[in-house]
Amino acid sequence: MSVTVPMTATRSAVDAMLQVEGITHVYGQGATAHRAIENLSFTVGPREFVSIVGPSGAGKTTLLRILSGLLTPTEGTVSLVGEPVDGVPEGMAMVFQDYSRSLLPWLSIEKNVMFPLTRTEAGRDERRRIARESLEAVGLADRHDRYPWQLSGGMQQRVAIARALAYRPRLLLMDEPFASVDAQTRSDLEDLVLSLRDRYDMTILFVTHDIDESVYLADRVLVLSRPPAHLVEEIPVPIPHPRDQITTKETDEFVDLRGRVARLIRSGGQPDGGGSR
Amino acid sequence: MTTTEIRTTDAANPGPAAPGKGGLRGTARLSKRLAVDFGALVVLVALWQLATSAATTPFFPTPLEIVENFGKMFFTGPPEHLFLTDAATGDVFASLWRMLLGYAIGCAWGIIVGTLLGRSRAAREYTDPVVELLRSIPATASLPLFILVLGGGDFMRVAFIAWGVSWFVLINTASGVASIHATMLAMGRAFRVSRVRQLFGIILPAAMPKILAGMRIGLTAALILVVTSEFMVATNGIGFQLIQAQRRFQVLDMWTWMLLLAVLGYLLNTILEVTEGRLLAWHRKARD
Repeated sequence: MSVTVPMTATRSAVDAMLQVEGITHVYGQGATAHRAIENLSFTVGPREFVSIVGPSGAGKTTLLRILSGLLTPTEGTVSLVGEPVDGVPEGMAMVFQDYSRSLLPWLSIEKNVMFPLTRTEAGRDERRRIARESLEAVGLADRHDRYPWQLSGGMQQRVAIARALAYRPRLLLMDEPFASVDAQTRSDLEDLVLSLRDRYDMTILFVTHDIDESVYLADRVLVLSRPPAHLVEEIPVPIPHPRDQITTKETDEFVDLRGRVARLIRSGGQPDGGGSR
Repeated sequence: MTTTEIRTTDAANPGPAAPGKGGLRGTARLSKRLAVDFGALVVLVALWQLATSAATTPFFPTPLEIVENFGKMFFTGPPEHLFLTDAATGDVFASLWRMLLGYAIGCAWGIIVGTLLGRSRAAREYTDPVVELLRSIPATASLPLFILVLGGGDFMRVAFIAWGVSWFVLINTASGVASIHATMLAMGRAFRVSRVRQLFGIILPAAMPKILAGMRIGLTAALILVVTSEFMVATNGIGFQLIQAQRRFQVLDMWTWMLLLAVLGYLLNTILEVTEGRLLAWHRKARD
C-alpha cells in the first residue's frame, strides 16, 4: 500500500532535515500584542514533502519567515540538519507567493536565476550553465533572455522555481506559490514541483491554503489552528507516486484525506470539530 | 512581436505582463512628438519675430538679432580653440563646471543620505520635521548665508548648488527606497545575498526610477542656482555676464546669455533623459 512512499512515518530527531521545537511568536507588546504562533513543534525528514495548511490568517507566513531565518521567534528553536538556525541558513531556498515582486524586473530571467549564485565558488560561465540548466528544468530554456514582465504569471513563478533550483537547496520553502495563478497553470506547476523534488533530491515544505493541493503534493500534511497557531494534526498521505491530477484525486483515499483536512480546518483546530465558531 | 507570442502560450493568466509595444512604433511615436514640439516652436519664434520687429521698444530685440549675436559672441574665436570665444571658454565653462560639480556632489549626497533614510523607518520619522523645514527654505534664499560663511569663491558656489540639488535627490531617493516591496528585500536576504549586492543589485536599481526623477528636477535647479549664485560677488560666469549686460543696458547681450541658458538647459536635460531612457527601459516597458 504505502510501499512507494519515500519516507517512513517515524523518524528520529537525528536524521531530521528540519526540526521545529516549541516555537511561539508574538507581534507587538502589551495590550496590542498578537500571538501568531503558540508552542508549535514538528519535524521534517530528508526528501520529505510536507504541506502546511490552516485557516487564513493562521500565521503560516510568519512560520515560513521564522523557518527561513528572516524572523527570530519569540520562543523556541529551529534546526536545519541539526544546526540551530540563527539568521538565514545555507542550503535553503525560497519561492515566494508574489512572483512579480520576488523577481527583479531589470534583469533578464537568466540573470534573475544567476542572481543568488554570486556567493558560490562557480565562475560566471559556470553560473550561467547552472542557470540555463535550471531554466531548462522548468521548461523555459528558450526564454532565457526575456524579462519577467514579458512572461505570464505562471511562467514568472517557473522562473522563481528555477532560481531556487539553481541555488541547489537541501530544503525548499514554498509560500503559497501558486495562489495567484489560474487553475490549469496551477496543476501544471504542482506536477512540475513533484517531478523536480525527485530530480533535485530536495526536501520541500509547502505552505498553502488549498486543501486539494496540500494533499495532492505531500507525503504529510500539517494542519494548523486559527491564531495563535498550533499543530492540530499531522496527516500522513500514503498515496503512491507518481500521482495524477485526475486519477489520484478520484481515489477514495484522496477524497477521504481531503475531507479530513477540510474538517480540521473548518473547526479551526477545535477538538469538537464544531462548525464556525 | 515576440512578447505577444509569449502571452498567448500562457494567456489565461492575469499577470502584470507587458503587452507588446514594438520599438518601431515607439520610434514613430517619438518622431511624431518631436514634429509637434518643434512645429509649435517654429510658429512661436515666427510670431516673436513679427512682434519684435513691429515694436519699437529697445528691450525686445528680434530673435534673429539674438541668434546672430549668439554666433558672434560664442563662435568667432580662433580656430585653435575650435572657434570658441573667450566668453564661451571663460564664462560658459566656468559656470558649467561649477554647476556640474555641485550637481554631482548634491546627487551623491542626496542618494547616500536618502538611501539611509529610506532604509530606516525610525530615521525617517525622526528626521522628517527637519527635512521638511530645511527643504522648504528656497535654496536661493540661503545664498546670502553661504556667501557670509564660505566667501565669494567657487567653493561657495559649488557648495550652494550641491545643497540646493541634494534635497530633490534626497527626498526622492528616500521615498523610492522606502517603497521597495518587502518581498523583494526578503528575496535578497533569503538567498543570502551579500549586503553590498543587496544595495547595488536590489535596493538602488529598484529605487532608480524615483532617484532619476529627483535628479531631473535637481538638474533644472542646478542651472537656476549657478546663475543665481553668479549674480552676487562673482567675477565671471553666465550669471555674472547676464547681470553685467543688464546693468550696462546691453540688452541684446542680455538676451543672448538667456538664449544660451535655454540651450544649455535643453541639452543637459536631453542628455539626462537619454541616460534615463537607457537605465529605465525595463521600468517603462514593464508598466506599458
